[in-house]
Amino acid sequence: MSKAEKVWYSIILVMLVITILVSMMVGASFIPLNQVMDAFKGDNPNQLDILINIRFPRILAVMICGGMLAVAGAASQAAFRNVLADPSILGVTSAADFFIMVGAMLLPAFPAGKFIFSILGGLFALFLLTRGPALKSPYRLIIIGVAMMLTFTGFEQLFSSGFGGQSAGSFNGITWSQTEVLLFLGVSGMAVAVIISPWANYLKLSTEQLQTRGVSASFMRVSLLLVVVYLSSSVSSVVGTIPFMGIVVPNVVRYLVGRDYQTVIPLSMLLGAWLLLVVDTIGRIVVLPSELSAAVIMTVIGGPFLIMMLQRKNFNGIKSS
Amino acid sequence: MELNQVSYHYPQQPALLQKVSATVPKGRILSIIGPNGAGKSTLLKLMAGIISPTNGEVLLNNQSVTTIPRKSLATQIAVVSQQNDVFDDMPVIDVVKTGRLAHHNLLATISDAEVAKYIEATMLSNLAHRPLSSLSGGQRQRVWLASALAQDPQYLLLDEPTTYLDIHYQAELMAILQRLNDQKHITIIMVLHDINQAFKISDELWLVKNGRLVQVGKPEDCYNRELLASIFDTNIQIVDVPNYGKYIVEIPS
Repeated sequence: MSKAEKVWYSIILVMLVITILVSMMVGASFIPLNQVMDAFKGDNPNQLDILINIRFPRILAVMICGGMLAVAGAASQAAFRNVLADPSILGVTSAADFFIMVGAMLLPAFPAGKFIFSILGGLFALFLLTRGPALKSPYRLIIIGVAMMLTFTGFEQLFSSGFGGQSAGSFNGITWSQTEVLLFLGVSGMAVAVIISPWANYLKLSTEQLQTRGVSASFMRVSLLLVVVYLSSSVSSVVGTIPFMGIVVPNVVRYLVGRDYQTVIPLSMLLGAWLLLVVDTIGRIVVLPSELSAAVIMTVIGGPFLIMMLQRKNFNGIKSS
Repeated sequence: MELNQVSYHYPQQPALLQKVSATVPKGRILSIIGPNGAGKSTLLKLMAGIISPTNGEVLLNNQSVTTIPRKSLATQIAVVSQQNDVFDDMPVIDVVKTGRLAHHNLLATISDAEVAKYIEATMLSNLAHRPLSSLSGGQRQRVWLASALAQDPQYLLLDEPTTYLDIHYQAELMAILQRLNDQKHITIIMVLHDINQAFKISDELWLVKNGRLVQVGKPEDCYNRELLASIFDTNIQIVDVPNYGKYIVEIPS
């Protein structure tokens, strides 16, 4: 591990711990740190109830989702060889949302329906993206992806009018049982992503270069994309879409520690957990007694970030004059 | 390695290669030369097993290369292709390590020590931890050579390895190839644009034109004005240069 990597791991971990503490304290009722301690000692059962059954599962769920979305973004960028290829702007997550809604309408009692339909939706979007000419140029991929995202979102809104629809990217009212599901999905998916992170590096070589080294690029690419769909659809099925996490976090990490995915993936996981926790905590307190969803705040941060990335002189190794 | 009536064409397109038959001299340096569009790179790709002949076969130890499993083929044949960029960026040593994938499973951790000798052989030791993008064209070409050598191949195939390199890097690369051939007895097959370079370094030459193998022979037998003029469609003169030997020049007609 290089010096820069050690430094950034430490800094992000410290930021994460501080943010967790702050997040325990703030909300509809402010609980100062000493009262948090007292509550855990058993001095204040009411506050303990708020902490254990409302704030703690929410903090955990937010961190896991942040990690999952950031890792999904990093893996997707490696598989598509495109630094902006995030499941949310490629339409993968909106397809998942749309499938969840259609599934809920047609087969409301299907066991684990949300999760299964979400995965199917993600796979469908990937199928559309990888079979056409979208892969020919990095710009084209992004344009087709955004068009697909808008299309699926539009269809979802068309069908969901008068139906209720999916809660859009908010952690408000998340329960322990939902958090447990996220914990299982997140830990399993992120563990696989870390294990196969060397493949993300190998895919920097061309298909032909890999072929002459006796290695199948498609096998590694498909494996990474399956992890991407698993992670992003898992989040969609539990909390809905939170956009731009997968663009903002891995690109910041690349800026901090370089391009080795064996570092980028685990560090994205930590930074993603931190960023989403900050976003969710801010959302909980800025418009009291109401809330701003994490999705709304992420759109406000991520939109300008995406525009900035696209405006840069050197995007994806392609220099524009 | 042996080519047996090898032909290649894209669907509904005229043939790029027609009935090429020849035997690669083992442990030697072979250069394929000919005008642009003659089918040289296609021939190299067929020999590497990257594409399959539409007719005929390429045999490696009496087995068709298209039937040899990828991984096993990668331990015998390594390729330095013309396209040699990576997406994003990568440290030199990691590019070299990808060559070792021919000998490991996909999740294996490859140590720095394992690739040290290939990095030394290509004089990259002081550049090993630099990002590939920070290197010059000649240095990058050596990185891809090191990565190919990391496959421990018997055959090393190079597609125009000296194109875009200045004269110093060209000479340096040729010296490395010569050394590899002398010391490790790796069979080297390359497509070269510079015919004088090809005549100088090779043990055997294949002259290709319009998808056909026109002539196979030792360089000294190929210093033939009429033959070269007809292959390159240009007026050619062979001159004697002191301290160098025969040199082929194009004379405007």
